[in-house]
Amino acid sequence: MTTAAPPTTPGALGAGKLSPIQGLLRRRGLAKLLLLAVAAAVLVPLVRSAWPGASWPGALTVDLSGPLDHASNWIIDNRDSHWLFVYVLGHLSNAVVLSVRGVYLLLLALGWTGVTAGVTLLAWRVAGLRIAAVALVSFLVSGALGMWVPTMQTLALMIVAVLASVVVGALLGLAAGLSPRLFKILRPVLDTMQVLPAFAYLLPVVMIFGIGVPAALLATVIYAAPPMARLTALGLRGADAGVLEAVSSLGATGRQRLLTARLPLARKELLLGVNQTIMMALSMAVIASMIGAAGLGDRVYQALASVDVGAALAAAVPIVLLAIVMDRTTAAAGEKLGATPAAAGPRLLRGWPAWAGIAVITAVAALVGRLAGSAIWPAGATFAIARPVNDAKEWMVNHLYSGVPVVGGTADWAAHFTNWVLNPLRDGLTALPWYGVLLIVAALAWLIGTWRTALTAVLAMAAIGVLGVWKPSMDTLSQVLAALALTLVLGIGVGILAAGSKRFEAVLRPVLDVMQTMPQFVYLIPVVALFAVGRAPAAAAAVVYALPAVIRITTQGLRQVDPGAMESARSLGATRWQTLLQVQLPLARPALLLAVNQGVVLVLAVVIIGGLVGGGALGYDVVTGLATGNLAIGLVAGVAIVCLGLMLDRVTQPTERRTTGKGA
Amino acid sequence: MTGTAADTTAIPNPCEAGQGSAADDTGTQPVVFSVRHLWKVFGPKAERIPEDASVTDLSARELREQTGCTAAVRDVSFDVRKGEVFVVMGLSGSGKSTLVRCLTRLIEPTSGDLEMDGEDVRAMDRTALRELRRRRAAMVFQHFGLLPHRTVVDNVAYGLEIQGVGKSERRERAAEMVDKVGLAGLEKRRPGQLSGGQQQRVGLARALAVDPEVLLFDEPFSALDPLIRRDMQEEVVRLHREEGRTMVFITHDLAEALRIGDRIALMRDGQIVQLGTPEEIVGSPADDYVRDFVRDVPREQVLTVRRAMRPAEDGEATDGPALTPDTLIADAIEAVARSGGPARVVDGGRCLGIVDSACLLNVVARIPQPHHDAPGEVAA
Repeated sequence: MTTAAPPTTPGALGAGKLSPIQGLLRRRGLAKLLLLAVAAAVLVPLVRSAWPGASWPGALTVDLSGPLDHASNWIIDNRDSHWLFVYVLGHLSNAVVLSVRGVYLLLLALGWTGVTAGVTLLAWRVAGLRIAAVALVSFLVSGALGMWVPTMQTLALMIVAVLASVVVGALLGLAAGLSPRLFKILRPVLDTMQVLPAFAYLLPVVMIFGIGVPAALLATVIYAAPPMARLTALGLRGADAGVLEAVSSLGATGRQRLLTARLPLARKELLLGVNQTIMMALSMAVIASMIGAAGLGDRVYQALASVDVGAALAAAVPIVLLAIVMDRTTAAAGEKLGATPAAAGPRLLRGWPAWAGIAVITAVAALVGRLAGSAIWPAGATFAIARPVNDAKEWMVNHLYSGVPVVGGTADWAAHFTNWVLNPLRDGLTALPWYGVLLIVAALAWLIGTWRTALTAVLAMAAIGVLGVWKPSMDTLSQVLAALALTLVLGIGVGILAAGSKRFEAVLRPVLDVMQTMPQFVYLIPVVALFAVGRAPAAAAAVVYALPAVIRITTQGLRQVDPGAMESARSLGATRWQTLLQVQLPLARPALLLAVNQGVVLVLAVVIIGGLVGGGALGYDVVTGLATGNLAIGLVAGVAIVCLGLMLDRVTQPTERRTTGKGA
Repeated sequence: MTGTAADTTAIPNPCEAGQGSAADDTGTQPVVFSVRHLWKVFGPKAERIPEDASVTDLSARELREQTGCTAAVRDVSFDVRKGEVFVVMGLSGSGKSTLVRCLTRLIEPTSGDLEMDGEDVRAMDRTALRELRRRRAAMVFQHFGLLPHRTVVDNVAYGLEIQGVGKSERRERAAEMVDKVGLAGLEKRRPGQLSGGQQQRVGLARALAVDPEVLLFDEPFSALDPLIRRDMQEEVVRLHREEGRTMVFITHDLAEALRIGDRIALMRDGQIVQLGTPEEIVGSPADDYVRDFVRDVPREQVLTVRRAMRPAEDGEATDGPALTPDTLIADAIEAVARSGGPARVVDGGRCLGIVDSACLLNVVARIPQPHHDAPGEVAA
């Protein structure tokens, strides 16, 4: 009897491991797959007999280039005569030009002394001494790199764009926060806008406004306002119901309720919204250099076009510094909200006297700068880093690109990656029958989500085919998949390590912080330096850009696993490896799914931008469309990017999405 | 001294006469809240439920199955009189929190009559209702409902701010209230820096600051530690003694209800099962549910000697220590034990009866005294 007992125990345990829910899920997943298989068995022969061949059938495409050209010509012809342009868009465009110009002139008038003093004091007032020091150093470095004027151009655009985005976003968010019906309509739109690559927004605004500052600013606002709207709405809706009830019980009117309770209770979300809006606006303001925004982004863009890594770096450093200063300042302002008033600094630094003091000191500094005779930036006080950086790059080209013993060279790696991973993947995807792709998309989206998500994904994918850009889309998709696989392997691996070691995480955290604040554009520079141009560097930039988010989500997910479950596993004598595989990872499944979703969204954004450095495919179509004024090509590619983004998001979307990814 | 036999027959029903003193006082007081046949039904076509005689008698579960509606408050009627502490007690889900919110229409009642000082609350328009909430009835909440971004004193002044009282005046009155609830010195703190008990004191001060006619408490101390809860209960009793303000108090804690309530309405499934003084609830439970509820109450702490006494026999009426009819059994036990003999129950110089150790033990041991015990006043 006693000897018979032990063998039965493991069996019972094994059966117990498969919880009823899991079993049901598994069976439900199977049912979905079966249903799809039946549908496929019926539809595929029909489809094949109608349109043989693997590529998207020509009969099913709609050539939009004619109508689009027509529309674009019509806009160009009527820009000066039609009432819509003369009375609405014209004024809008003028207002944008005037305000950006005005802010730019003001910044120039303040001179480097005034601007630096003003920004430093502002950072001090809002975020404390340490961040003020960072701001001071950042602006001085930007000037010293000879980038003062472009920095001011970017700053002027940013100031106007952020103000506009915050106002538009807050108003939208307010409306959605107060009206449940509007919230229901707006939320999926905002959610989707947040996952679309920045490139998708460029063409439509160019079509209407032409290349120039208004288009750049509008694209920035469209890209940066959704997080503000989203977080405002969520903040207002999430306000503590108990507090609101108490406020009502005291007889507050609707307006009093909003002003004294609802908005103050949502302050954290509002400030987070401002922070995200600023970061996204910076990211877009840099990319918008392609459609007429002068400034740092333009310098990077020009330098990349001639593969001048040194010049690109000189412009990229101020971008990164600007990003860090803005992010830290707004983030610190958000953190300080919860602190006691006593901790907010000495009395002198509070209330309107502080603001007035900042204004006065700024003006004085500007005046002193003027009197000292250097309005913009002292001519002698710059040092050009372009040449030494380019020398270093030359050395790298000569010594690291190829022929390094044993490991090969970076150019060799890029070539191998292209030949052995990207090419087969692309060829495979292109060779796969189009209905096969649709089926796979449907199966994935349905397994992980609902039939709605599956339908959206399939329709988005079909739209790509209908638009006639199936082939370049498959090319882009292959790059996304390769980069995603690499990102997930690296990101989850590093995430597991970071979750296991506090010390490693402490080292990693500041690195991730900086990486997550950098605009997407900046990532192209180092990869071009290392791998030259082509599809491999584009994929590499995408991997580097998406890694921080994936690492962070994985680490958080693993850390949040119920310690009770881990403890019980350890008490049963599980090894570390067993605990990881059997307890931690399965319990962190939602976080891992989220990491995949965020990874896909971020990778796609940069793969598309990779069109600038030889990534080809859809991104290249947008770039060519812009460069040659052939809006039809660009617009179609833009729509395809939207569809691809939608499809990838839906295919990987876990039922509940969180708001962690910054600058997605 | 008059004849004892005549005296005891003059009071055939000690229980009925033996309502708590507060209830005696308030029995003649004007009615503040008058609630008649009040219903609150959640669900589709809720307004039809109270009128539909075929479903009004169903149990909660049957009602939900048949109509998809939940009746949180079912045909409830009671009066709250000026100056009394009216406790509504019941387990969670019994509808008591919904009931108290209906009083100021934070939750809109489905049907029934609701009057405050003779005014029809249900007929009030928005402005009148806002005035009622601003000045006449203030509420204290279980989870405090404080504004986290404001200091203690600004939280307390919030009600006045909403009324449009000037800054200096409302600060001054708020500071007074902060003092009154024992938070002096913490004026500049934020709610997040206070303990739960302190936060609820802020909530109490905020309600008191608008000087309301009625204070409504919605399970105010449920989220607090037992010791702090006791402190806060004493605080409420003290405030009531000092100011005599009318209070409606919601709780699920029987001990709390018995400690502070002048009258208690016991709710179950949206209905009032029994309404009476603590002594009536404990001494004469209306049904098995109430009996079960009050089983563990230490009866000697709630019941009075009225319920224990027997008629005086010859010679007893002049002997032994004298007790008033409102003396708690616990105190009577002490008196009897000290004197070693029976004690007299004396009211205004008349001897109402005698309590000896046997009588007292009978009450504590829950043994009925057939010739004196009678059913209490059972409402609705």
